[in-house]
Amino acid sequence: MGTEILLYFYGLVCLSMLAFNIVYSLYLRLGDRKLDQRVSFFSRAVSDQLQHIRAGQPVETRHLASLNRRLSRVSNLLAYDRALEALPRQDAAVESYLHQIEPTILYLATKYRRRENTQAAFFCYFLAQNRILRQMPMDEIQRILVTFTSRDSLYCRVNALKALCAFGSAETIVDTLLYCDRQSSFLHAKVLVETLLSFTGNHAELIRLVWERFDRFSNGTKRALLDYIRFNSGAYCEQMLGLMLDPKTDKELRLAAIRYFGRYYYLPAKQPLLEFVSSPDELNWEYAAISATALSNYTGEDVDAALVRAIHSSNWYVRYNAAISLESHGMTYEEMLAAVGPGDRYAREMLAYRLESRRQQEETLLV
Amino acid sequence: MRDFIQLFLRCVEFFFILYMVGYASFLFLSVTVGSSTLYAAKRRNALKNELSNDYYVPVSVIVPAYNEEVTIEATIRSLLALDYRLYEIIVVDDGSSDRTSETVQHAFGMRRIDRPIQQRIACQPQEAVYETRSWKVPITLVRKKNGGKADALNMGINVSGYPYFLCIDADSVLQRDSLDKIVRPVLESDNVIAVGGSVRPCNGAEIEQGTVIRYRMPNNLIACMQVLEYDRSFLASRILFDQFNGNIIISGAFGLFQKNLVIDAGGYDHNTMGEDMELVVKLHVFCREHGIPYRIRYVTDAICWTQVPERLRDLCKQRRRWHIGLFQSMMKHRNILGNPKYGAVSFISYFYFLIYELYSPYIEVFGIFATLLAFAVGLINVPFMILFFGIYVVYSAVLSLSAFFARVHTVDLKLHITDMLKAIGLCIVEVSCLRFILAWVRITALIGYRQKKDEWGKIERQKIEFK
Repeated sequence: MGTEILLYFYGLVCLSMLAFNIVYSLYLRLGDRKLDQRVSFFSRAVSDQLQHIRAGQPVETRHLASLNRRLSRVSNLLAYDRALEALPRQDAAVESYLHQIEPTILYLATKYRRRENTQAAFFCYFLAQNRILRQMPMDEIQRILVTFTSRDSLYCRVNALKALCAFGSAETIVDTLLYCDRQSSFLHAKVLVETLLSFTGNHAELIRLVWERFDRFSNGTKRALLDYIRFNSGAYCEQMLGLMLDPKTDKELRLAAIRYFGRYYYLPAKQPLLEFVSSPDELNWEYAAISATALSNYTGEDVDAALVRAIHSSNWYVRYNAAISLESHGMTYEEMLAAVGPGDRYAREMLAYRLESRRQQEETLLV
Repeated sequence: MRDFIQLFLRCVEFFFILYMVGYASFLFLSVTVGSSTLYAAKRRNALKNELSNDYYVPVSVIVPAYNEEVTIEATIRSLLALDYRLYEIIVVDDGSSDRTSETVQHAFGMRRIDRPIQQRIACQPQEAVYETRSWKVPITLVRKKNGGKADALNMGINVSGYPYFLCIDADSVLQRDSLDKIVRPVLESDNVIAVGGSVRPCNGAEIEQGTVIRYRMPNNLIACMQVLEYDRSFLASRILFDQFNGNIIISGAFGLFQKNLVIDAGGYDHNTMGEDMELVVKLHVFCREHGIPYRIRYVTDAICWTQVPERLRDLCKQRRRWHIGLFQSMMKHRNILGNPKYGAVSFISYFYFLIYELYSPYIEVFGIFATLLAFAVGLINVPFMILFFGIYVVYSAVLSLSAFFARVHTVDLKLHITDMLKAIGLCIVEVSCLRFILAWVRITALIGYRQKKDEWGKIERQKIEFK
């Protein structure tokens, strides 16, 4: 009897699953249709307000009240976002419209502050996408967004940081990064760098503030910030040299500083790079390998001599990078072979490979 | 004697109630969790909870190939169409006896080059290396002495220049956004060491420039049943295991790995037929033994389309190979079982694979013999047996359909009404017939497997129409 009850129970599960499949399928079909209707509704409403603005009148309070009421639902905010997406951004009336709905956005921020991560993340996306409140000073909405950066959803954190970058306040960004570090919120270095590169404010000001508070960041954030600076400006050689030469600095940060000098030529960095590439320290081979790459940006007999010595290194990566740098200096195969000498087969093979590879690349370009 | 048989059948009945309740609950849980995860992901994407910028993690795509002259060109072309910038393609021809190497050289204008290769993992030596830089990304072809798929993959790792590598089968086609999607977990957490992608049968799908432009259920019935089986068994259960970092399989057809960690763990095992599963189990062991915080992820929206066998003989060959691989991996790492150090990997994942994958064919056949015995001695309640079997078939079929429709709904595939009817009809055939045929194949799989351990599993290929 017990077994039969069990069987009927599983039969019931089957029926429930079937019912779920049918109902959900219908719900999805209806949901898509409803979203299209909502987008049309908001498109019409916004279009009416744009006509008002073009006629020299402000956005109607009735419209703002309707937005306050409707956009508290994320499905409506999604439809509204799609309606705004279709508007031309260079239009003065659109700019003015976005400016005039700011009170609504502030109201929505207080609403979405209490929402679960997915909805909060979409609200941040909406702000970043529509560049609402750009260039405004620190205010309530930015304070709310900063708290979003410590939520346990990565997407919420990233979208909040993107929205803050769209606002363009350097002070807020630096404060946010320090806040994220205090809250141990993880942001992958690549994500952080790309997001900072999308900053719409003054990058020089942002970098100045970063240097000012550099010691207060975690090593992971410092590493990302150094990469961001490297992609942004070559005006910070002095600070980078300080980091590169300081033996107490974290290894990854010193390597990031070496990479900086591979991108930007700085004469005072040349000698330390030569010392790194010639270092016999096999445990810290990364310094030699990355310096070998960075030296492609520097010329001179001393550089070539150091790179030729590096080709004999026991470390594969040091040899490989040195070969690439020598090749970029325009050394011929014969010159390199003469410099390397007949004894080291591995070095010869590496050189031959790099030169053949370059020849193939050149032929490809000619074709 | 009759009393003894009666006692024996009572015990069998008790065991099977436990066994079936366990399996039915697992199936229900996996399909429910799988479907709700897919629906939640669809909602998240609609609400822009995604990393939308171009965050490129450098990836070496390794394609091990053995006698793949029919499909290899289409596979490489699909890789060149990926929406991704920072990657390289490495094809390793494992001593093919057909024209695999020549096909690649000719199709992509490759030239021989003397490239030194750092042997960080032991593998058979290379015979020739070819390169080209005339395409969107560098392509390298290494022709080496035959050593098996694991050996070819190890060679690919040695040649690769980037910190992450992705292995794909030479008969598979990647969807154009798949590389972008599969690296996302790496950006989400520093601890992610491996990511499995979703493998789907491409039979019946029309793919243009890495995008599915028309999707129909395959005309071939064997392939059609595998579509349902893939959704129920692989998609749903892997999503469930992903909830507690318990996946112990990443399909060899589509997986991303952190290169240095794989090298430290010893790379792919030459002596195992299921090198893909063995590697993942080995990574669990390596990280736990060395106290390395780690996460092995599974992503549903990174999609690799693969050809599934259309002939029963080929399907049996494939499943035989999978079962041997499963047996070897589980035996090699049997210390995991019941070991508290491995947590959920031991008590849920390993236990599930042991009972419901490795031993299940034996248990199922034992069940059939017990039923016959009960029938012979008149100790069976026939109406109850029919009811039991009926519920079993309907239950499994409904769950298969739930997983299938969850997948179809969440990737916005438009299905024709005949495809829906085909799915409904064939899911019953799959659970009531094909499943038992494959159980028999798995029972006999271990007979004489040692002689064939280094062989590539070969099934008849058809040219992939990649436009």
